[in-house]
Amino acid sequence: MTQFSNIIRLSFRDYSHEWRMSGCFILALASVLAPMMILFGLKFGIVTTMIHELVENPANREIKPIGSGRYDDAWIEGMRQRDDVEFIIPRTRALAATIQLKSTSAKRIVSTELLATAPGDPLLGGATRQPRNYFQVVLSHAAAKKLNVNSGDEIDASLARQFQGKRERVHLPLEVIDVAAAGVISRNVAFVDLELLIASEQFKDGRAIEAFGWQGNTGGPEGRMYPSFRLYARSIYDVENLFSDLEKEGARVKANVAEISTVRSIDRNLSVIFWIIACVGAIGFAFSLGASLWANVDRKRKDLSVLRLVGFKGGRIVMFPVLQSCYTAVLGWLLAVLVYLAFEYLINVFLAPRINLDRVLCFLLIEHFLWALALTVVIAVSAAVLGGMRAARIQPSDGLRDL
Amino acid sequence: MTVVYSLENVVKERLIDGVGFRLQVPRIQIRAEENIALIGHSGCGKSTLLDMLALILRPDTSDEFSLHPVQGDNHDVAGLWRRDRYSRLSQIRKQHIGYVLQSGGLLPYLTVRENIELPRRLLKLPDDDSINSISKVLGISRQLDKLPGLLSAGERQRAAFARALSHRPSILIADEPTAALDPITAHKIMAVVMEVIRGLKITLITASHDWAHVYKMELRTLRQEAVAVDDGKVYQSSFSD
Repeated sequence: MTQFSNIIRLSFRDYSHEWRMSGCFILALASVLAPMMILFGLKFGIVTTMIHELVENPANREIKPIGSGRYDDAWIEGMRQRDDVEFIIPRTRALAATIQLKSTSAKRIVSTELLATAPGDPLLGGATRQPRNYFQVVLSHAAAKKLNVNSGDEIDASLARQFQGKRERVHLPLEVIDVAAAGVISRNVAFVDLELLIASEQFKDGRAIEAFGWQGNTGGPEGRMYPSFRLYARSIYDVENLFSDLEKEGARVKANVAEISTVRSIDRNLSVIFWIIACVGAIGFAFSLGASLWANVDRKRKDLSVLRLVGFKGGRIVMFPVLQSCYTAVLGWLLAVLVYLAFEYLINVFLAPRINLDRVLCFLLIEHFLWALALTVVIAVSAAVLGGMRAARIQPSDGLRDL
Repeated sequence: MTVVYSLENVVKERLIDGVGFRLQVPRIQIRAEENIALIGHSGCGKSTLLDMLALILRPDTSDEFSLHPVQGDNHDVAGLWRRDRYSRLSQIRKQHIGYVLQSGGLLPYLTVRENIELPRRLLKLPDDDSINSISKVLGISRQLDKLPGLLSAGERQRAAFARALSHRPSILIADEPTAALDPITAHKIMAVVMEVIRGLKITLITASHDWAHVYKMELRTLRQEAVAVDDGKVYQSSFSD
């Protein structure tokens, strides 16, 4: 332990004493590492931003049925159990899923589309509360704006139908429990509990809804069938597979498959290019550092012989160039990170606007920096071990005579 | 007097600058507290013998190579080399032998004080006043916080002696320690070193290629014994008579 701590101290003292030489090693490392980081930052920034935009917008993960189908609860539940499905909920007929909303703070009545929702709905990612009963609603930003209401306000919902030759209208008080984020959906939408959506359709079909005291025909078909659904894949990478499976089942669906495929192709191609460059750079770096350390051990054989002479064991002497290599790796990495951050700033602040991009072009995550550090240290230490083994083989009597 | 080194039929072959060289030591014995001069021309094998005595060079063959640095502490050096007991050899060297090189061999990135402290640190010896006292005797007290590069050749050599003596070894080996110095400085340094060595009862083994110099400056005043090395052959004789 004493020898080890002494070797750490001595190797660092030597490293700082020869600061010019150490500085050259650090610059050499940073000059290889920094461009690789910038390259990866650009690759990661451009592709990730594109993917992020696709992922962030649930519309890109939505698989939409075309026309009307017949989907029962069992089919919906079966889809819900799939790992690649994030969210699915039935839809009723479009004409039956319209409701009129009125608030005391707005003059006009707003005709609003009813969408069933449930916990996990990607469209309500920003909303903190979910409708739990017939009388709660989350409004889209557009609907809330037109109705001039906020969370906690009460609004009046009304449904109209032609029943037995007469026009009927029923009213339902709803509490606005939340307002969806502005970017989620641009239409006037009221997100409600599935039961309210079904009740709305049944009322328009002339049936009685006992829960609200709405009169009408009693009885009806056994089991529910839905003409449509709202389905979101777990990620954009699941869309293609899910789309294909639904088509195989005979469902007519559409999705943003082409755009997703393009982004994934760009990601793959850039990754291949990046890794080719990174591998060539890393091999060059490893050889360069290895050769430098090899030469360095030769240069230092006299000092290393003196260390052997005063009592350091061969195994500890190996640590001398290895530790110095670690110092170079850490300091070189640190310099490369600083250079990278400066270029990242220049690219994002000055270059991106010039090519009419309002998104970040170049960025890396903390884990990327840590991975770069780990790889740099591993390469540097591996190269240094060669020099270290050579150092350990130097017998004191071999090096001392050159002093 | 206790025999510190006992060597018999020790042979070492080396390749120096592409030329084969063979050192033969028929028999030498070095006693405790003796001052031994290895005398011979350049390339005759003095340094090879010194390195073997310092346990940093492995002999090829030997009938006997034993070391008794202090009473009751006997080491079969030949056996340790045969059994590749490098750690043990290193430990013996670290504990009992001080080595001074022609150029001092101070580590350039440590101050003089840190250089002198190094053997004591490795032996985990407690901090005491020995560094200051030996530096004072050798006349380098004011240079302790300087880097070796800032010292004169004489000061560097004094510091090298201080490092070699800091852990109180029982044997001091010096390879032409004053060869790079002017005669007056060399004499001054050796005179001081001899005082220290006598006080500490240390066995001194030095090498020199300058017969006249040894005779004039060292043998008359410092030496009791000399070992002549000539063309790879080692002869032991007494100069003290």
